[in-house]
Amino acid sequence: MTASELVNLTIDGIPVQAPKGTGLVEAAAAAGIEIPVFCYEPRLGPPVGACRMCLCEVKPGPPKPQAACTLTVAEGMEVSTALTSPLAMDAQNSTLEFLLLNHPLDCPVCDKGGECPLQDLTFRFGPGVTRMAFDKRTYEKPIPISPTIALDRERCILCYRCTRFSESVAEDGQLIARNRGAQSTIATFEDEPYRAAFSGNVIELCPVGALTSVQYRFEARPWEIQNVPTVCGHCPVGCNVLATTREGKAKRILSRNHPEVDGGWLCDKGRFAYTHLYAHDRVVDPLRKIGVRRFDELSWDEALDELERLARAADGRVLLALSGSETVEQAYALSKLVRQGFGSNAAVFPEEASSALDAFRLPLSAIHDAQLVVVLGDEPVVERAPVVDLWLKAAARRGTEIVTVGALGSVQRPAGTAAQTARELGDESSELGRRLAEADRAILIWSGPGGHGGVHVAELAGRLGFAAKPGCGAFYLPATPNGRAVAEAWAAAGKGDQTRLDHVGLLLVSGEEAAESPRIRELGARADAVAAISMFADPLRAWVDLVLPGTSYLERDGTFVNLEGRPQRLRRAVIPPAPDELAWIAKLAERFDVELAPYATAVHAELSPLLFEGAPFGALGERAELPPRHPVALPIAAPAPAPAATEHGGPLRLLRYRPLFSGPAVERVPELAFQRPAPEIELSTDDARVRGISPGDTVRVSSNGTSVELRARIEHDLVAGVARAAEEFAGALAGAVEVSRT
Amino acid sequence: MPARSLLLAGADERDLTQLAEYRAIGGYEAAAKAAAMSSDELLAELSAANLRGRGGAGFPMGRKASLIDRASRKPKYLVVNADESEPGAFKDREVIARVPHRLIEGCLIAARAIESTDVFIYIRGEYLAEYEVLERAVDEARAAGLFGDVDVVVHRGAGAYICGEETALLDSLEGRRGQPRPRPPFPPIQGLYTAPTQINNVCTIATVPAIVSMGAAEFAKIGPESAPGTAIFSVSGNVVRPGNYELPLGTPIRTLLEEYGGGVAGGRKLKALIPGGSSVPVLTPDQIDTPLDYDSIQKAGSFFGSASLIVVDDRCCMVQLALRAAKFYMHESCGKCTPCREGTRWLVQILTRIEAGEAELSDLDLLRSVCDRILGRALCALADFAVYPVSSYLTKYGDEFRAHVERRACPFGDASSIAGITAPIDQHLHYPTVEIPA
Repeated sequence: MTASELVNLTIDGIPVQAPKGTGLVEAAAAAGIEIPVFCYEPRLGPPVGACRMCLCEVKPGPPKPQAACTLTVAEGMEVSTALTSPLAMDAQNSTLEFLLLNHPLDCPVCDKGGECPLQDLTFRFGPGVTRMAFDKRTYEKPIPISPTIALDRERCILCYRCTRFSESVAEDGQLIARNRGAQSTIATFEDEPYRAAFSGNVIELCPVGALTSVQYRFEARPWEIQNVPTVCGHCPVGCNVLATTREGKAKRILSRNHPEVDGGWLCDKGRFAYTHLYAHDRVVDPLRKIGVRRFDELSWDEALDELERLARAADGRVLLALSGSETVEQAYALSKLVRQGFGSNAAVFPEEASSALDAFRLPLSAIHDAQLVVVLGDEPVVERAPVVDLWLKAAARRGTEIVTVGALGSVQRPAGTAAQTARELGDESSELGRRLAEADRAILIWSGPGGHGGVHVAELAGRLGFAAKPGCGAFYLPATPNGRAVAEAWAAAGKGDQTRLDHVGLLLVSGEEAAESPRIRELGARADAVAAISMFADPLRAWVDLVLPGTSYLERDGTFVNLEGRPQRLRRAVIPPAPDELAWIAKLAERFDVELAPYATAVHAELSPLLFEGAPFGALGERAELPPRHPVALPIAAPAPAPAATEHGGPLRLLRYRPLFSGPAVERVPELAFQRPAPEIELSTDDARVRGISPGDTVRVSSNGTSVELRARIEHDLVAGVARAAEEFAGALAGAVEVSRT
Repeated sequence: MPARSLLLAGADERDLTQLAEYRAIGGYEAAAKAAAMSSDELLAELSAANLRGRGGAGFPMGRKASLIDRASRKPKYLVVNADESEPGAFKDREVIARVPHRLIEGCLIAARAIESTDVFIYIRGEYLAEYEVLERAVDEARAAGLFGDVDVVVHRGAGAYICGEETALLDSLEGRRGQPRPRPPFPPIQGLYTAPTQINNVCTIATVPAIVSMGAAEFAKIGPESAPGTAIFSVSGNVVRPGNYELPLGTPIRTLLEEYGGGVAGGRKLKALIPGGSSVPVLTPDQIDTPLDYDSIQKAGSFFGSASLIVVDDRCCMVQLALRAAKFYMHESCGKCTPCREGTRWLVQILTRIEAGEAELSDLDLLRSVCDRILGRALCALADFAVYPVSSYLTKYGDEFRAHVERRACPFGDASSIAGITAPIDQHLHYPTVEIPA
């Protein structure tokens, strides 16, 4: 910053220097002076100047108080806040008097009470008594604007933060202001439920108790809660969160703004799915299968005896199935037990992982400032890494060109051809590729299946010369929150090559995702015995012999590495209902003469030299930094075979996808049921027409002798030749499917 | 020199809604003359004319046009504010209904001055008949090839007073909820679709052809030096001949009221004069000789506003009048900012109590205090518009307010002449054409 770009002004007589263009509210805050605000929130776009809380006396300027939030610093500006200006004090006091006129005095029963900006500012700047002697405005309340959010219109101070979020951040346009003047109310369009991936953010944005969380309503008061800083474990973004707990129970999840990772936003899965901790089928004691679908409880000693027995009986033929949602420490401990204790080098991973992208690392926030972003793949970004979608939207609003290439892309390509597209973009004849290579700030994102864990996209980034350009980078959106680090932990936990077992003596299933995977269940059917570590019992009935209680990310200490390659620290917010994995793994390891510590810190200390260049656990901090780029010798991926072309009217290529609102945790949160997809099959306009299918028709989808009946949805953005269905409705369908009207 | 008026000239003799008739009196010749001028020359001419905005604020139109960044790569827009909704004002309506082509011609010239090819006329939704006249005239002029590379789009509002506020109008035109935007950025820098935008009132634009045809120097000779030209004054209330009268600015209120309006109805005594539509502070009978121009009226303590004189006779209850104004502005508050949204409702509650005879004297202090706390605190002027009538009636007719408290009832009751304070439905048809001394 050169001196010429700094301007000098005074705020309450104090000389302040700030870069030109700085908002007055920020400049004052930097100087330690508070200008109170309600509607002002820079993350929602340009200021609107609606609430009039920030009125200050500003010279030069008109002789009336000015809204500081809409002003930027200027040379010679003299600002007087309520601290020094009677005019500003009266103006701010007036605003609060007006806001309180019709605001109910129900603070004692309001969820916001105690952490309410309206309360706080009233104490500091507001009138001590009311002069309102008339009937207050009343509305029906609370109104559920969705099963997760309740709206109290009487408390609303109409700052329009929520509608601005809906319109200009999430861009879902569902939350609107209705009517006019004193009768203005917040509403959803056509009174439909607010069904959108990021709806819950409006609860946090609301400066009063107007928008409250249905889950948190009347659950706790701010003075009896603890907010534990941790990291969300539902997807590979790793949004930084605060877990609010009361009396040892998780009560809500709030965003903890990591400006490089999440920008302070959170998806509804991360915000509302925490009640899976209290699911009806939560495993709290070890269980042993007795009978077809019944489990019997075991003591911990019996359980460890049993697992030891099963492991020894397998005689080295133990197969570990990992979920990708384990912490690095858990994955390492479990891997070490299996590899060094059980004597097996066999494991299955949830997805492929690659370190090739480390050469092209960037913080997710770099998307916002990019000139050009190309998204490759067949899945919408929001399904795999929701907050990345908000970064893309913010970038587009700022002027970034965003090109999506795939089955649902702005550039339509047949499903499964992203690897080919990547190769084409690396070719000199590609116009888009050339522009990528020439840009100073270009970003590639791989969103969809395939891609060998990022190898293809890394290879493209390499060919475009991104390794040498610090503003250019590449991301791969994995399917699991911590899959890559889990695979690396396995690799670090033993010696010897991965082996393939012809016969599995013991299948050890780690985590709920693996336990629900049809692929793993198939392996289980062929194994002599199956043991599983899981939070939930229902999916384990009938095929698992021994169950050990698992924990949730909210109950763990440990490390997750997100899709940027940023190691982040999980902090235990809630004590799990059973001893955590590290504790009993260490105990069992003793019986196999394997040395393992029962604590995350100690396990981390052991694995850190292998995985994190020796960085100590304590160094991760509350807002973790992105490690520097590592040059990577690019592997040349095997050219992917082009998928067979589909014929007009012939079979369609089935695109199975995992919706954002799916998975073992979401399934156990009744409030999120409305967010889950309907049993539908998505067809392109062309394919539907050829088959005489109209939206809403029931259609039969069949392949390889199995068939499913689903409702047809016509998706205009979908490329022809593809049928798209959520994993949970696709059953055993695979490959090419026939779709016909029933 | 023959007698003439500027805005309504020729409308008595001919049906100027017809293109042929308008051309017969020299219509679109000014546009042709302007087409031969550069935009710099046009801007210079408009600036020299010192035509002040007829929408109320009185900002010189030429200076506003000069603020447009003509070098911008974005399109430039001309927007005509025809969302006339001020109680007491019906001048734009007259222009649109009777001389639509003069407005269109003004649009073509003003668009040329700012190098714009896109003109939007935002017309009040309730002006259906006027909209149909205007739309027909636009079609006719377009079909006659008069537009060149310019196009004129007439857009109907949806019934919100606030959309007469220029930035709310822009939001509404963009398809959003009509609410004022913070300024800066001002519309000439960042207006419609974030592009440089010139916004003017109907009468301002409709005056432009006269300036071009007679020349700025000649135009500047009409009326006072500080505000040349004519205005269409809408006269309403307790008056003998309500209607629109085109007169040079600077005409005294007395002339307008007595010579043209025929004086106070029923020979009653004059009690109050509201010179610029319901939103401006009231003047008292002793101020009847105030000339009707921006500076003189401001000096007298009110505003030129929308050149609409509301005449109030001695039977009218000022509390009832204040309550009616307050109700209007409460109803029309857009709800965006706090003092206006909450304050206007409170004002209505307090005034209702006073009118009902249930108030205490302390309520009058409360009323004053609430007015003071709204004034100058809101994002746009609507909140101030709600305050001006209430606070000025309270100041100048405080005895009446106190009488309500002391008698525990309204001294006028049903006998109040407030029913006469309306804009009669047909009064825009009642007008004389006025001779302007050359």
